[in-house]
Amino acid sequence: MRYRVTHTTTYTYEEAVSVSHNEARITPRRTLGQNPQRTQLLVDPMPAALIADTDYFGNTTHFFSLEESHERLTVTAVSDVDVDGIPTPAPGLTPAWESVPELIRRDRTRAGNDAVGYVFPSPLSRYDAEIRAYAEESFAPGRPVLDAAVDLTRRIYQDFAYVPGSTSISTPLSSVMRARRGVCQDFAHLQIAMLRSLGLPARYVSGYLRTLPAPGRPRLTGSDASHAWLSLYCPGFGYIDLDPTNGTIPNDEHVTVAWGRDFGDVSPLKGVILGGGAHDLRVSVDVAAA
Amino acid sequence: MSDSYGIGNGSERLTPVSSLSVMDRSPGGSPFAYVPDASRDEVFGPDGLPRAHCRDWLRDIEMLGVEDMQRRWDHARRLIRDNGVTYNVYGDPRGMDRPWELDPIPLVVDAPEWTDIARGLEQRATLLNCILLDIYGEQKLLTRGLLPPELVLALPGFLRPMHGVKLPRGIALHMAASDLARAPGGGFWVLSDRTQTPSGAGYALENRIVISRTLPGVFHDARVQRLASYFRTLRDTLLSLAPRGRESPRIVLLTPGPHNETYFEHAYLARYLGFALVEGADLTVRDRQVYVKTLGGLERVDVILRRLDDAFCDPLSLRSDSSLGVAGLVHAVRAGKVAVANALGSGLVETPALLAFLPKLCRELLGEDLLLPSVPTYWCGDPEARSYVLDHLDAMVIKTTAWGPEAFEPMFVGGLSSSERSDLRARIKTRPEAFVAQESVPLSTAPVWTKGRLQPRHITIRAYVTHSPRGYETMPGGLTRVSATQDSLVVTMQRGGGSKDLWIRAENNEVNPVTLLRQPSQHAEVLRSGGDLPSRVADNMFWLGRYLERAENAVRLLRALFARLTDETTTDVPELTQLLHALEVTSDLETGSITGPEVANMDPVQLVVAERPQSSLRATVIAAHRSASVVRDRLSSDTWRIIGQVQRMVIEASGTPNFRLSDAFDLLGQLLVHFSALSGLAHENMTHGPGWRFADMGRRVERLHHTARLLRTLLVPVDADDAPTLEALLEIADSAITYRTRYLGMLQVPLVLDLLLTDESNPRSIGFQLAALGAHIERLPRADRSPRLPEEARITLSAIAKTRLADVNVLAAADAGNGRPALDALLAELEHEAPHLAESLTRGYLSHAAPSQSLDGRS
Repeated sequence: MRYRVTHTTTYTYEEAVSVSHNEARITPRRTLGQNPQRTQLLVDPMPAALIADTDYFGNTTHFFSLEESHERLTVTAVSDVDVDGIPTPAPGLTPAWESVPELIRRDRTRAGNDAVGYVFPSPLSRYDAEIRAYAEESFAPGRPVLDAAVDLTRRIYQDFAYVPGSTSISTPLSSVMRARRGVCQDFAHLQIAMLRSLGLPARYVSGYLRTLPAPGRPRLTGSDASHAWLSLYCPGFGYIDLDPTNGTIPNDEHVTVAWGRDFGDVSPLKGVILGGGAHDLRVSVDVAAA
Repeated sequence: MSDSYGIGNGSERLTPVSSLSVMDRSPGGSPFAYVPDASRDEVFGPDGLPRAHCRDWLRDIEMLGVEDMQRRWDHARRLIRDNGVTYNVYGDPRGMDRPWELDPIPLVVDAPEWTDIARGLEQRATLLNCILLDIYGEQKLLTRGLLPPELVLALPGFLRPMHGVKLPRGIALHMAASDLARAPGGGFWVLSDRTQTPSGAGYALENRIVISRTLPGVFHDARVQRLASYFRTLRDTLLSLAPRGRESPRIVLLTPGPHNETYFEHAYLARYLGFALVEGADLTVRDRQVYVKTLGGLERVDVILRRLDDAFCDPLSLRSDSSLGVAGLVHAVRAGKVAVANALGSGLVETPALLAFLPKLCRELLGEDLLLPSVPTYWCGDPEARSYVLDHLDAMVIKTTAWGPEAFEPMFVGGLSSSERSDLRARIKTRPEAFVAQESVPLSTAPVWTKGRLQPRHITIRAYVTHSPRGYETMPGGLTRVSATQDSLVVTMQRGGGSKDLWIRAENNEVNPVTLLRQPSQHAEVLRSGGDLPSRVADNMFWLGRYLERAENAVRLLRALFARLTDETTTDVPELTQLLHALEVTSDLETGSITGPEVANMDPVQLVVAERPQSSLRATVIAAHRSASVVRDRLSSDTWRIIGQVQRMVIEASGTPNFRLSDAFDLLGQLLVHFSALSGLAHENMTHGPGWRFADMGRRVERLHHTARLLRTLLVPVDADDAPTLEALLEIADSAITYRTRYLGMLQVPLVLDLLLTDESNPRSIGFQLAALGAHIERLPRADRSPRLPEEARITLSAIAKTRLADVNVLAAADAGNGRPALDALLAELEHEAPHLAESLTRGYLSHAAPSQSLDGRS
């Protein structure tokens, strides 16, 4: 399946910004089931410097700075990407969940070490007793890890309400847990924290979602948002994506941009500006079948 | 010779006591008595006698006698206070600028023993550097199973954005420090390592300077190795990091600012090493190149010696909530455009857990045995170590692997209640990887000088290494830290401990005569100063000048006032009300607040010592001190000392009960002497560069404003009896003698006006201030080359013209019932232009960019 992804971010500042430094992670990365064909990044006004780099997690990052006074910044990323998806292993064949920490501990290959990096609480994905207790209901002794994790994904999907605007970046997971509502970032952080509380490695994935058109109506342009889900590491099977916002295992309708320990590692566009005062932020994402 | 026991002349006896005396004593008996701690003492052996390497210098100290020693020590403490050697303690209202605690008795380590320690420290730094390069590179230590990834990858000190960076010359650690303690078996072992921003080397240097001045004879005879070579090596290492082809690399010392606990040291080292002291806001990144914002524009920075913790250095790529860092610094480092020492991310190897792995890592990485052991340390993530720790929990100190949400201060399990213990046990079992246990071990002791006696205190040594062309090099000395009380086992400056100088004696009795003064080095080019003054520094210099002048003006006015209030010979003081009114005007107080009906109840002393209003003398003096503290590295130590004394005098006065008018009068007189010394120092002892220029402009602007207001208040309303007012005015303006020599005592308004308004040769006149300001403004560096005169120049030129063209006879002319309208008009204009000029200078040269903010892309 080929998609054209157009992701536009516009900052409008109340006062002029004299200098801004930015880091963007908005061009899809290569994965097992995904091949970016062509990506383009447009920054307006023209940046003084624009440098592409690869971060610790292998994500494509762009660093750019603006050194002329400006009151508006528009960043547009256009990417053509082939998404084929990969077959999901039969959940029943994955190892018992309790054995996973030991399997990872014994695996000193790069893959094993990499997975270890996703076992610990990270700044935006910390767990407490309540979070762990919720997770444990899905993890009966001896249950295959993917089977249990998919069950947990479905439970979050059923128990939590998707309410845009109900949380912010600083809302702690304990509040999301109590209120039983949030947005995709919260649900991804929540399931990650739950899996980690059991010693299972899980990473945060940022990307886009193709929203299926409603029957008999044209596809809604610009209504799609930046999306987030997670990946569970199953020894012997690799990383398997889980989307608690939709209660599904992503296949060919998710476009992966970047991954890391949590949102903090993969923020699509972050910046430090001098001046600016209050600002207005508009984000639009368009994922069209090409 | 017998061992005498006791205090003073032996009239009071204590056992067991050992005397310092090892030689024949003076007839008065042993002046010093010391009860060593039951545990090992560094100076006295188990037999109560001084150890071999301590006999000679102890005897030298003893020969000084208690009184001489106390006298020298009082002097040294004054030196510390006057030099402003301070240590800030967080969360303590009195904690800011707490005087540095130093004990006069040095700790002396035997030369052969130190040679072993130094070799161990150098090996250790080499090892830690290798570990850092691996973890920020190939991570073979993880794939080979030499370090558990569940330890390393969980550390917040592992800065992922720094992974894969190619470091200049392959050095991550340019300097490192280790805390050492005496092991029960005899040698020293390491308690912990400091690798991101090792602190204390500057205090060690200051300690050395103070002690060598306090005990010059003892110091000389002991043949102590000098510290200067260490700092020169450090500077050479930093210079060598500059990108190739830079002839005169610019090195800056990045400080978190005056609120940091060791800010004194940042300023001190910046001065000593000849680097500019900057804060994050002074630096900016353009096209991945770091620049310092100066009066003359942006100047490229090649090397940053940072005293800012890892995660705070860049709000873009590291902690976005840091307001202390430099946005884009990580990208500049990745691009190889700037070197940061120590490398960003080097805090990783500070984790106490690493101590458990060092012996194995040393064999694997260096092919050597670890020379300097660490205190027995267990990482609980290892199942065997964990079960040992849980079996011996009571004998352990429990720490967290890193500072984070779950972190706590080290816990001495032996001192916990049983419920606390079981709680801790449960926490370790839940997340063992997060905990480290170390055996709780006794520290050795050394004598400290307390109220004329020696008393034992627990000690640890902080030792320093720096990279050199020959590998790592150890400072022959260091910082000895002392517990606050005899019982305390916790040795930390934050908890009120003290320090000692550490003496390492020259092994073959040869002292390398390296001076501690700045070398006439081949690197003279980096030491120059000029147009590269950071704008923030210029701003603080400007305000320092303003506050000092404001304080001096207040003192002069108050003194004239108090002289009249305390004068017993006359009862009729007609000018008193006018002077009080002048005080109201120049202090920005409402009319009537001093001269109102309650004036009879007013305590004039309050005008000196009150904390309020904002314009009170006390508040102004404190503000001047604050501005000075920010630019301390730019001020001579004399200047800083006097500013400190001025503040102390005023604060002490406000704390003195029954502080009377006559006391206040005395105080004001002393303050004036101090202020005169300060202006003398500014003129004669400060390079007349941009920093001085801004301080002087601040002074001139303030004096202009003050004099205009003073003249307007005192001379515009016509009074039948001008003479006493004119006399007071001349006195306040310090121009009475000039007037008398010129006019032989005939007080006339036009002549007074000429002297205080138009005469440009009188340093107190308005004309003088304007001319000086005009000259300064002409010499300011200007980035903008437009032919149009800048605003501040136009304001000054116009005021100069008006003042020069003024006719003092016309100005002095009175209009019946209307005062002196012409004078009023001119002075009103000048009074208005002074703050206007200050604002214009601030806008043009000093204004900071708007505060920065972090945006995370989520609304």
